[in-house]
Amino acid sequence: MISQKDTIRIGEVIIQRSKYSSDLPGYKTERLDSSILESYSQLSIAEVLEENLNISVRSYGMGGTATATFRGTAAGHTKVEWNGIDLGNPMLGQSDLSLITTGMTDGITVYYGSASMPLVNGGIGGAINLTTGPDWEQRSKISVSTGTGSFGHYSGLLKFIKSTRTFQSSTKVFTQTSENDFRYLDDYTGPEPVWQTRTHNQVNHKSLIQEFYLKGPGSVTSARIWYQLTDRNLPSSLLTQQPGSDEKQYDEALRSMISYHFTGDRSDYLITGAWVRNRLNYTNRLASVHSRNLSDASTVKMNWFGTISGSSRLGFTIEDDLDIIHTNNYRSAARRNKMSMTALLDSKFSPSVSSVILIREIMDRDRFLVPDFSTALELKLLPSRDYFIKASISKNSKLPGMNDLYWYPGGNPDLKNEYSFNYEMSYSMKENITPILGLSYELTGYRNNIRDMIQWLPGEFSYWTADNIGKVNSYGLETSLSLRYVIGSISTELKSGYALTRAENKVNDQGEEFMAGKQLIYIPVNKANVALKLTYDNLFATWTSCFTGKRYITSDNSRYLPEYFINNFYGGIRYRRKNISVLTELGVDNIFNVYYQTIAYYPLPGRFCTLKILLQIVKKQ
Amino acid sequence: MVPPGSLNQLYLLMKNLILFLLSAFILQACTKDLEIPSADFILGGGVLVLNEGNFNSGNGSLSFFSYDSMKISNDLYYSVNSKPLGDVPNSMIIKEDKAYIVVNNSGKIEVLDQSTLEHRSTISGLISPRYMAIVGSNKAYVTSLYSDSVAIINLLSNSVSGYINIRRTSESIVVCNNKAYVANWVGGHEIMVIDGLVDKVVDSISVGMEPESMVLDRYQALWVLCNGGWARENYAELDRISTITNTVAKQYKFSTLEASPTSLCIDGFGQTLYYLENGVRQMDINAEKIPASILIPESGSPYYKLAINPVNSDIFVTDPVDYVQDGYLLYHKNDGTFVAKFRAGVIPGSMCFRLRF
Repeated sequence: MISQKDTIRIGEVIIQRSKYSSDLPGYKTERLDSSILESYSQLSIAEVLEENLNISVRSYGMGGTATATFRGTAAGHTKVEWNGIDLGNPMLGQSDLSLITTGMTDGITVYYGSASMPLVNGGIGGAINLTTGPDWEQRSKISVSTGTGSFGHYSGLLKFIKSTRTFQSSTKVFTQTSENDFRYLDDYTGPEPVWQTRTHNQVNHKSLIQEFYLKGPGSVTSARIWYQLTDRNLPSSLLTQQPGSDEKQYDEALRSMISYHFTGDRSDYLITGAWVRNRLNYTNRLASVHSRNLSDASTVKMNWFGTISGSSRLGFTIEDDLDIIHTNNYRSAARRNKMSMTALLDSKFSPSVSSVILIREIMDRDRFLVPDFSTALELKLLPSRDYFIKASISKNSKLPGMNDLYWYPGGNPDLKNEYSFNYEMSYSMKENITPILGLSYELTGYRNNIRDMIQWLPGEFSYWTADNIGKVNSYGLETSLSLRYVIGSISTELKSGYALTRAENKVNDQGEEFMAGKQLIYIPVNKANVALKLTYDNLFATWTSCFTGKRYITSDNSRYLPEYFINNFYGGIRYRRKNISVLTELGVDNIFNVYYQTIAYYPLPGRFCTLKILLQIVKKQ
Repeated sequence: MVPPGSLNQLYLLMKNLILFLLSAFILQACTKDLEIPSADFILGGGVLVLNEGNFNSGNGSLSFFSYDSMKISNDLYYSVNSKPLGDVPNSMIIKEDKAYIVVNNSGKIEVLDQSTLEHRSTISGLISPRYMAIVGSNKAYVTSLYSDSVAIINLLSNSVSGYINIRRTSESIVVCNNKAYVANWVGGHEIMVIDGLVDKVVDSISVGMEPESMVLDRYQALWVLCNGGWARENYAELDRISTITNTVAKQYKFSTLEASPTSLCIDGFGQTLYYLENGVRQMDINAEKIPASILIPESGSPYYKLAINPVNSDIFVTDPVDYVQDGYLLYHKNDGTFVAKFRAGVIPGSMCFRLRF
């Protein structure tokens, strides 16, 4: 028999995985709360990250490829994980966020800079971990939501949980189709600006996650599978209006994972095995490009965490990854094996001083790299209150993507890993000023020096080759403020953030000085966001504002995309009766119909509306 | 410890609010707004330089080097017309008072006033256009990297009036005696001959692998530079073709597979050939073999495009540096003497002379 007390304790560990990553002292992490995830449930995680966090997202338009960058780094320096397993395409070395729907996850945790190191290798900029996990409090839950919106947008999300005290099945199904035929102002191609309709921009997306959890004494065994398929037409740049290109991209992913998590009194361990298959086919009929790409990535990962004294914990992680690529863009099939071993010491010297020391050794293609490390210190300024000073220093390595190594022509099998030195310091506080008023504040300063950065440059025989010549220094400040005011049935929550990011090229190994000191392209110096949420009884409303400063689009900083200020509104009503709740939500994105771009000459939609209806039936254990 | 009490609670709230606003304000104030360089457009004789920019980035631009001021003015099309030029401007020709810029990845030709560079018209609907040649008083042909047809342009209406199917893609084009010679570059080895009077293919000439550039000499012989293909499986060669018989009169083979010559040009007299191969090479049209020596060696990164002043044979080459940052225009006298180096745009490529006589 499993006691009620045990059940609750294990459930919390599985969902938050706090011992392995997100709650280690001295690091900066951020969790998106469930109400935000619910509002964005039928949108991609690109939207939720762009509008709620100080992360820069570049998108080729509605439904188009979207990537995220932290703190002035490149898209390949952002790792996207699913319960700690890399979701990135091993060929590109990065993830397309537009392919991941927010509602398919149960939680999103963002790890800034060094904070990613306990979770994953190679997140020089940071990491985004998408979590899915069991909810043992529920015996059954069915949630059906349907959405419709402007530009021919239709979507549906089904979540179904069936649970006993020891077994749980969780199913999520999402489907979406969108014409994305929005209007935009074309002030490039003709003598006068004219309103045009975006064409050849349709997206069809389907996704299914099936998970099984089996609970034993102190343990949970899980099996997960995630299949998704996206078929989309790729619209061209406003400056590339050639008839007959008919660009298409087909993405298919099958991800499977089994894990065993044991939690004991003094130690716990997690063993995970995963296999991820990605298929990416790209066609450009005009240019006769038919790119066929299939990758298989297998991962075995073992974490152990044990208490070695009353206040210190020691952790070890061993991970082995095998990537196998079949593509018509390489001379032959390519494979790579990489292995890493990580040791982590989490010490609490006194109630107010704690630290983390992490050392990692990576073996890539039978070569040992110079070890990575991270050390973090956290000081609690007042004994019984949440005022903290945090600092960390780390060296983090990122291995080249398979395309960098084997693309034909131009891939360079002799590439070294990129690496960075990251320095970070922050002040944070959280205080309930009165029983009805809560406040939290954080100010972080960082510096990130990236070396041996991989760049593609023209080689000897008129084609481009990859080489480790780039040097980039980025530094900046991040500040955030949250206020929560609750009185009676009225709840008000204000969240705001601002980021200053300077990311500059240094003189590279070829001695080119011209770009030195210039801001990297597409990295905004200024970014800010504010979200105000009001709840009264069954009514709720959220207003979000997001400001993104100008972004240079040329290396010499002579041209730029202007700043933009986007405002969104979500509001609705939730009706509850016994186990049943019905939610109706109306959303208006880009309320003031601002015309903007995040990638030059790829327009984004103006004002658009969405309507979502959610029916949920829950039975507790 | 903050003692309980509403004043202290208010103080704490205000302190953190002020700290947040102050930090946001200070951070913003610390950022220095970078100036956008203003264009200094100068009328007169000189060289127009097309900067291709990066593929799909829309950062192609137009520069002008002025002989009068010995200065270069960059980003002129944007400065004059307040619009970007387009994606990968590839080539340019001047006919009377108009300049035609072929913008490859935008599928268009921009028609400008050649003296003011003001936009006059746009010829759109073209598939990957590369080069343009005038074949009659009001007619031009445009080659295509991806389609099997050469487009016919009506220069009065500035529109596509038809197509000539040559069953292969096309690159450089030269017109001689109402006949257009069109090179089938990527993966090809033929020159197609089009009769400009009837707009039909009338002949084809087999040459070396991947004919990249062509010029006419003083005797109306067509010189074709074949770079051998990027895979370096064929020797590059320079072929001289009789435009009377449409046959190869002489072949000059390069000695190594690594040789990859590009950018064949000729001086205004039609007597001396120039091309790029590890620098600028010079060759008389009557030479028996290709030159072993280099007139102007490369200085750092490989040169990209070459142009010869038709009046005084000044030599201009472009250096794209790393193809990401702004490149250089290098100016040499005819004997190879270096004169000056100017910063142009991203990937400075084709050049077009606008000269005063």
